[in-house]
Amino acid sequence: MKVTRREVLKTAAAASAMAAIGGPLTTMAKAADNEPEKWVKSVCRFCGTGCGVMVGVKGGKVVTVKGDPNNHNKGFLCLKGALMPPIVYSKDRVTKPYIRKNGKLEPATWDEAMSLVASKFKTAIKDHGPTSVAYYGSGQALTEETYLASKIWKAGLGSNNVEGNPRLCMASAVGGYVTTFGKDEPCGSYDDIDAATCFFIIGSNMSECHPILFKRVAARKQADPNVKVIVVDPRKTNTARIADEHVSFKPGTDLAILNAMAYVIIQEELDNQRFHNKYVSFMTNDKKKVGFDEYVKFLEDYTPEKAEKISGVPAAQIRKIALMFAEASATTSFWCMGLNQRIRGVWANNLVSNLHLLTGQIGKLGASPFSLTGQPNACGGVRDTGGLCHLLPAGRLIKKPEHRAQLEKQWGLKAGTIAPKPGLHTIALWNAFSEGKVKAIFVICTNPAHSLPNVNIYSEGMKRKDNFFVLSEPFMDAETVKYCDVLLPPAFWCEKRGTYGCSERRYSLLMKSVEPMGECKPDFDILMDFAKRMDVDPKVVPYKEIDDVWNEWREVSSITPYNFKGITRARMEKASGIRWPCPTEDHPGTRIRYVRGEDPNIPKDYKNKYHFYGKKDGRAVIWFRPYKGAAEEPDADYPMVLTTGRVIDHWHTGTMTMKVPELRRSFPKAYVEVNVDDAKKAGIKNGDDVILETRRDTMTFQAKVSDVCRPGLVFVPWYDANLLINKLTLNAFDKGSKQPEYKICAIRIKKA
Amino acid sequence: MKSRISIPKSIIAAIAALFLCLLAGQASAGSIKHLKAPDDAADCYECHKKVTPRIAQNWYESKHGVALMKCFVCHGQPDGKGSIPFMVVPEPKAVCRKCHEPAMIRMEKKFGIDPDCYKCHVFHQNSLHHDAYGKSESKSN
Repeated sequence: MKVTRREVLKTAAAASAMAAIGGPLTTMAKAADNEPEKWVKSVCRFCGTGCGVMVGVKGGKVVTVKGDPNNHNKGFLCLKGALMPPIVYSKDRVTKPYIRKNGKLEPATWDEAMSLVASKFKTAIKDHGPTSVAYYGSGQALTEETYLASKIWKAGLGSNNVEGNPRLCMASAVGGYVTTFGKDEPCGSYDDIDAATCFFIIGSNMSECHPILFKRVAARKQADPNVKVIVVDPRKTNTARIADEHVSFKPGTDLAILNAMAYVIIQEELDNQRFHNKYVSFMTNDKKKVGFDEYVKFLEDYTPEKAEKISGVPAAQIRKIALMFAEASATTSFWCMGLNQRIRGVWANNLVSNLHLLTGQIGKLGASPFSLTGQPNACGGVRDTGGLCHLLPAGRLIKKPEHRAQLEKQWGLKAGTIAPKPGLHTIALWNAFSEGKVKAIFVICTNPAHSLPNVNIYSEGMKRKDNFFVLSEPFMDAETVKYCDVLLPPAFWCEKRGTYGCSERRYSLLMKSVEPMGECKPDFDILMDFAKRMDVDPKVVPYKEIDDVWNEWREVSSITPYNFKGITRARMEKASGIRWPCPTEDHPGTRIRYVRGEDPNIPKDYKNKYHFYGKKDGRAVIWFRPYKGAAEEPDADYPMVLTTGRVIDHWHTGTMTMKVPELRRSFPKAYVEVNVDDAKKAGIKNGDDVILETRRDTMTFQAKVSDVCRPGLVFVPWYDANLLINKLTLNAFDKGSKQPEYKICAIRIKKA
Repeated sequence: MKSRISIPKSIIAAIAALFLCLLAGQASAGSIKHLKAPDDAADCYECHKKVTPRIAQNWYESKHGVALMKCFVCHGQPDGKGSIPFMVVPEPKAVCRKCHEPAMIRMEKKFGIDPDCYKCHVFHQNSLHHDAYGKSESKSN
């Protein structure tokens, strides 16, 4: 009799399952004991995918979570999302305020801590002016918290020094979208995944960084093998497992590959002339509007053969992926830190959008240039509400007098309240703090002593005695706690109410599930208390509760293309997320922007199908961005490239995931991933200690030898507080976006 | 790709019986024993691809494997110190529900409640646990 391997396995496993089912009866009973009394609607605390989560509560405690079936994730969670409850009850939770005395953090009352904070900030402003104080926030803070902090500093204290960690992860995407389309944020949505027939994934290990979106892409491929997946990454990651084409290239040369793809598309006459004639401008790098022929001429420097010499990618493979991209009925691109954390991050973003505009792979379901966001509320909290030093809410710019005036009027404040000069961007701000030029900083919901590049400079600066550092941080073991002068205990994730906005412009309400632990308070309360103690004009902060901030944000956005007017709290309580623009309460939200009939900003009777209203002439821009190398290319002294990133089990600085026993054990410490050939040359075996040396510092990591990295490249995950890889990374940044180049620096390695 | 091998049905039954005896023996002793893993053990797959290669490979090829939904999410930690209890056979109401509740509700409406989900969704045999690109066993039957 012939049987398949599957049948053999099936019979054996069925037997083992039946046998085992009788075994762990006790544990099953234990699980049933934890049946929640209620389920509360929320959003996952981790990445920018923004999955809906239902929090299971019993006896006033979080006992479990499950996916929200009505949100975009359709009930699914990744391994981190499914294991969140232990984080809430970690023994390392900060549950009362602390003040540093004689080098040690001593418990204090809220009043003592906040009085000290206010007096230090007041002294700094009195002695050195308002620009001597700063706020440094987070893409994990709630939308209302960031909006409030930004308003307190910009309109209340007169300081535009409002920054946050999204500068480190998303600034180049903002720069890319704004220069190409005139407006920030993706034009498509996650719905595109279900309709795309080709996925172009570049500079993103979405399998480990955005697992639920990757699952949706993989499911698309599993259901229809004709769907094509192209993964462009110098590492052969788990994402590449589902790829039809994995394109490995010399780190930093992707700009040449993207231009070469455009060259091939035009040579093969696969460009959509009807689309780009009508809806696209061609712009040289020095902002001169030129014609299509000039673009063809510019691309002559990027024939596949020339790009092969630069990137190491065979010309034939460049041709192949260019055809796959252009010939598919609908291509969606995904990218993330691989393009953003670069000194040419904005350019790299432009070049991906170029391909979509050239081929018309845009503005229809399944075709979209989609930037993935790293944090759960970087889009929603910081980019949209203007929580950066050059921004005001809803895409307005500090440097534009008409934008300041418009906002001052909306806020009911006198003209000239907002200072006309943008504040210091993240790297400049931390440089200034380290040099003692910024005297007082308020940090919320982020861990800069772990996450800043070339971090030794900044941790040294944080030790200074002549500057003042307030930190609101839920976990005592976060690296930055070592350096703060006052530590405040914030309510964590499920202990407060507010909004997160994810990568696809979807805003979801996180309902309060349980009471805050100990003396913890929501950051909204902390900021309101701070404003009061700083004598901020009550007209700037006229809020009784957090929902008042949301309602003001709806009004403030309503005269801009962002338009949140229709996303009321009542709707948010019922719906699992609504995508802006959403002008009225009966509007369902928008899945595709810039398209008549889809985008409510375009009149239904508008003469053209597409309208890129972010640009005065209604045309999106194809930019001529040349290939330029990294800030620190490998050389004779430091012949290899270091890149950093995530593993699926851990998130950001590990302060949360290290609290989950399964996740901690899965990757207990950071390691260095070395290519087999490089390891052989250096005499390194799996598990050996390896010394990593850059121009900034030297560290030792255990080796993982594999074929994931291409030769010449090493990778280190950045979650481990005991092995801070950011001591080695570089703080050079993109001139446009001011985002640092974490992804590439020169390194040498040797066996310890 | 399916590899066809020639095995008499009696041998399959014998393999099944052997599994049954081995596991039933352990189960009756209280719970399935697991070697003590060091606190800094890497993820389950690293070890299980050596000690139970077939199960590990089934996972790796499955939808859960492609999506890196690792063993501990459903099974907990062998020393019981995980965020969910250690379960050789995950309890659907405690574990599967976290992601598959919409499907569980649909199935219940269609077929009623069957206390043994694994009768149809054979453990480590449907597309969740084997061959992500194949049709689920429960669907192909």
